[in-house]
This record gives sequence, structure tokens and C-alpha cells, in this order.
Amino acid sequence: MKSRTTFYTALTYAAGLLFLAVFIGPILWFLALAIRPAETAFAMPPQLTFEPTFDAFRHILVDPGTNAPQLVNSLIVAIGAVLLNLPFSVPAAYALSRFKLRGKKNIMLWYLGLLMAPPIAFLIPYFVLITRIGLQGSYFSMVLVLQTLTIPFSVWLMKSFIDEVPAELEEAARVDGARWYTIMWRITLPIVRPGIIVTSMFAFVFAWNNAAFPLVLSSRSTATLPIGTLGYFATSGVTWNYIAAAAVLAMIPPMIIFLVFDRYVVRGLTFGSVKG
Amino acid sequence: MHATTLRSPPALAPVRRGFVRRNLPYFLIAPSVIMLLALIAYPLLFALKSSFYFWNLQVGPQPLAFVGFDNYVQALNAFDFRAALTNTLILSILGTAIEFSLGLAIALVLLKALPGMNVVRALLILPTTIAPIVVGFLFRYLYDPGGGLVTWVLQSLALPVPAEGILGSPSTALAAILFVDIWQWTPFFAIVLYASLLAVPDEIIEAARLDRASAWTILMRIKLPLIRRTAIIIVMLRFMQIFNTFDTVLVLTRGGPGTSTRTLGYSLYEQGLVNFNVGLVSAQTWIAVLIVNIIVALYVFFAFRNEEW
Repeated sequence: MKSRTTFYTALTYAAGLLFLAVFIGPILWFLALAIRPAETAFAMPPQLTFEPTFDAFRHILVDPGTNAPQLVNSLIVAIGAVLLNLPFSVPAAYALSRFKLRGKKNIMLWYLGLLMAPPIAFLIPYFVLITRIGLQGSYFSMVLVLQTLTIPFSVWLMKSFIDEVPAELEEAARVDGARWYTIMWRITLPIVRPGIIVTSMFAFVFAWNNAAFPLVLSSRSTATLPIGTLGYFATSGVTWNYIAAAAVLAMIPPMIIFLVFDRYVVRGLTFGSVKG
Repeated sequence: MHATTLRSPPALAPVRRGFVRRNLPYFLIAPSVIMLLALIAYPLLFALKSSFYFWNLQVGPQPLAFVGFDNYVQALNAFDFRAALTNTLILSILGTAIEFSLGLAIALVLLKALPGMNVVRALLILPTTIAPIVVGFLFRYLYDPGGGLVTWVLQSLALPVPAEGILGSPSTALAAILFVDIWQWTPFFAIVLYASLLAVPDEIIEAARLDRASAWTILMRIKLPLIRRTAIIIVMLRFMQIFNTFDTVLVLTRGGPGTSTRTLGYSLYEQGLVNFNVGLVSAQTWIAVLIVNIIVALYVFFAFRNEEW
């Protein structure tokens, strides 16, 4: 019996290592590409050791040349998307959590349904509209259009956080004569501040990782990091170390956010439907 | 009498409730709904109208002629659009099924609470955090016929690799795209299923074990039914996401070779943003939207039939 348990323990650890090799190995290999001397990128057999070089990062960050600072653009768009998102989604989430509503289930499902719309299908209309009103290439057009993803998602996630604030706290304030907006502003929102932060972080990641909207709506000077990688891909031959450097810059913030907010990741990924 | 009046606080007995107060929840929800309607309804109506016109931005800035349902007929008769439909259905059905099964298997391994496994669990989510377009580049590098890691591993194992590369051969390209999606999203299923399985009360499992139920029976009869609701939602969301796959295809194969990896998402991109064939792409959009809605409606109807929201 003892050896049987030991066997299963060993098997479990072997499985764990296999998971890491399959799912994390490729990421590490790609991270290495960014600091590899270009000529070793496709060496056969693959070279594990090399003299690291930071030329690609220097090219991307310090000396972008004709390419605009895509890192800054990505930050502006993602932070803008979060800031525009909150005033729309937080009140809606508060109402859906705190009030009895006719058709509440339908409203919730409607938000969910929007997340399933094919974003690519909307790009031509957005492209035509944005060009007509002269906003093409602006940060605002990207931030605005991203709301189709971030608002529905944030409403669901915020609602699951507000649901957890005990109604008694609000009742007590109501007995003391506080108005609903005082209650929301002074009591509920401060309590769910972690929820607001987590929701913002997820909205940030969605906006940061989105490539479809900037692909059409950005200009050369407002291109975000994912578009930057596409740019390095298209220009004269494939400059793999530049692609990798831009891609690594694009990968790091979402990774950090997901690892830091580990506790809330499940809830975010399932739009709050699993309390985690 | 006098005492009773004093004891009841005014806030508990609001005699007059104004129009705003009565409809307050709707006023709070309205801004988000109006914003979303504006962002969604415009493209849908725009596409509906354009789908009945011959309109190509390369030919002219305005719609050229009313053509009725010609765009729909053309789309449905086009070989490449039908190939895109087939590929998309293959990808989304196989992808969701494989990711769910593998994810569940991994979740069950993670549940064996051994020291150090929580580190594995925390790291496992990383593929899911990466932008699809970046994942596309990652695998383009790994699949490269002249020195990519995957190619090298396959060759080292003496497995056949097509001469034109994994992505260059019609027989392997779609499978390669499917593999990329599985790599990125299996961890998502694993983590979510792991978390919901953790929430299954131990007592139920213990009771079943005392009744000498096998591990398989416990999984199928107790654990899975208890996480049913979560499973329903993530399967639906994932199916829709794969159905709309576009970024990875753009980077990995551009739908090729031939039409072997063409997806609906990529088809919409090419017709709309490369060929600027607004009329045709609008018809394709509506066909896609209708298919998606039918699938989701059927799924919601059957899956949520016995669910309480």
C-alpha cells in the first residue's frame, strides 16, 4: 500500500512537470528569442546557450525610428478603456445586484450575448463610421470600440463582487436616513474596492491583448504593441528578434496581473459565474 | 399614538417616491445599455443595409447598385466561404471538446494536493494570458520548417514532417492551428474546472467512497453534475471564441495553404479589410451572426432548461 502511494505521488509530480514543459516551455523558448543573437534563432539543433543581447529591446524602446512608441500607445489605449468602462459598468452592476428588476435574467443574458458577437464582423462598419466622423487613427476610437468587450464583462464581474456585500450594511445606513447615492458612494463602493481593482485589471488585459480593433482603427503613430509585432512581420524579411522583443513587452503585463490576482483569476475568467 | 409616530424613522416609510427613485435601477443600467446598443446596433444595421448592395471600396466610395440577395447567394455558393464554414465548425467543436477533456484531466491531477502543485497550478494559467496574435508568432517560430522547436522535436522522434513545413501543408495546417488553440486554452479549462471541483464538499465524496463507488463513478455521477453550471458557461464562451478565431490564423497561415485553414473570422477580415468588398462581407457577417445565434440559442435552450438564474 505504501509503495502504491509513493508510485502515485511520483506519477502526479511527473504529470505536473509534463504540464509545465508543454505549457510553459514554449513561452520560455520564445522569451529567449528576444535576447538571442539573430543568427542562432533557427540553429539546428536548437542552441540552449548563447550570449544574450538586448539590441532588439533597444530598437523597440529607445530607438523606435519610424515606429511610434507602441508601448506607450498600448498603455494609453488600455488605461483609457478601463477609465471609460467604469462609469458605465459599475452603476449597472450595482443596480443588477441590489434591486429587484423585471427581466433581470434577460438583461444579464443580453450582456453575455454581446461578448459572443464576432468583433471582426463589426470592423468594416466601425472603419467606415470612424473615417466618416474623422476619428481615424485616434486613441479615442479604439477606447470607445473596446467598450463592446469591456462593459459586458465588467458588469458581470462587478455584480458578483457587489453581491457579496451584506445588504444589512446598506439597510443600517438607510435606517440612518442616507440616500441611495450616499450609500453606494460611501458604503458599497469602498467595500468592493478590491472588486473594482480586479475588474479594472481584467478590462486592462482585454484591451491590452486586443489586436483586431487597433488593426483597423489605429494609425502608424497610434499603433499598439500587437500591431507593432505585425509590422515587424510584414517589413522586409522577418525580423524575429524585433517581433519577439515587442511580443515579450506585450506578454509581461497580463502575466504579472494574472499571477498577482491569482485569487480572482477564476472568477474573472468565468465572468463571475464561479465564486473563487 | 404620539409615541408610535416618534418611533418610526422617516426613511423606513417613504410615502412619496419620485419618478427617478422608482425607476432608479433602470437609470443606472441605461447608460451601459445605450452605449452598447450604439456600438452594436450601428454595425449590425449598417451591415444589413450594405448586404443588399454591390459596394466595393476599391471601386467607389458609395454603394453602386441594389442587388437584393445576390451577395448572400454569392457568399453561400463561394467555395472558400463554405470551406471557412466547415473549418470553423471543425475547429470550434473539436477544440472545445478536446480542451474540456484535457482540462478536466489536468484539473483532476492538480486536485491531488501535493506540496508544490500549487506552483504548477499558478504558472499553468500563463498561456491564457497571452494575446492571441502573440501566440500566433510564438507558434510560427516553433513550427518553422527550418529550425523551429516543434519541427525539430518531431524530426528527432522520427515522425514525418511535411517538406513544406507543418503550416505549409494542407494536410497538417488545420491541425496545427487547432493545436495552438488547445495549447492556449486547455489551461483555462484546467484552472476553472479545478477551482469548481475544489468547491465540491468532501463529505459527499467520502460518503460515495464508503459506498464503494469507483473513482470513475464518483467523477461522472457526483463531481461533474455538481460543476455542471460552470461547465455549461465556459464551454459556451469558449465555443464562441473559437468560432470567431481570427488573429492566430492571420499570423500563422493567412487561411492557407489553399483554403485549408480559412476560418469565418479570417474570411470576414479578408473580404472586408483586404478586398474592401463591403457588400459581400456584410452578407457574410449576417450569415455568421445567424449561425452563431442559432447554435447559442439551441445550446442555451437545452443546457439551461433546468437551470435557475
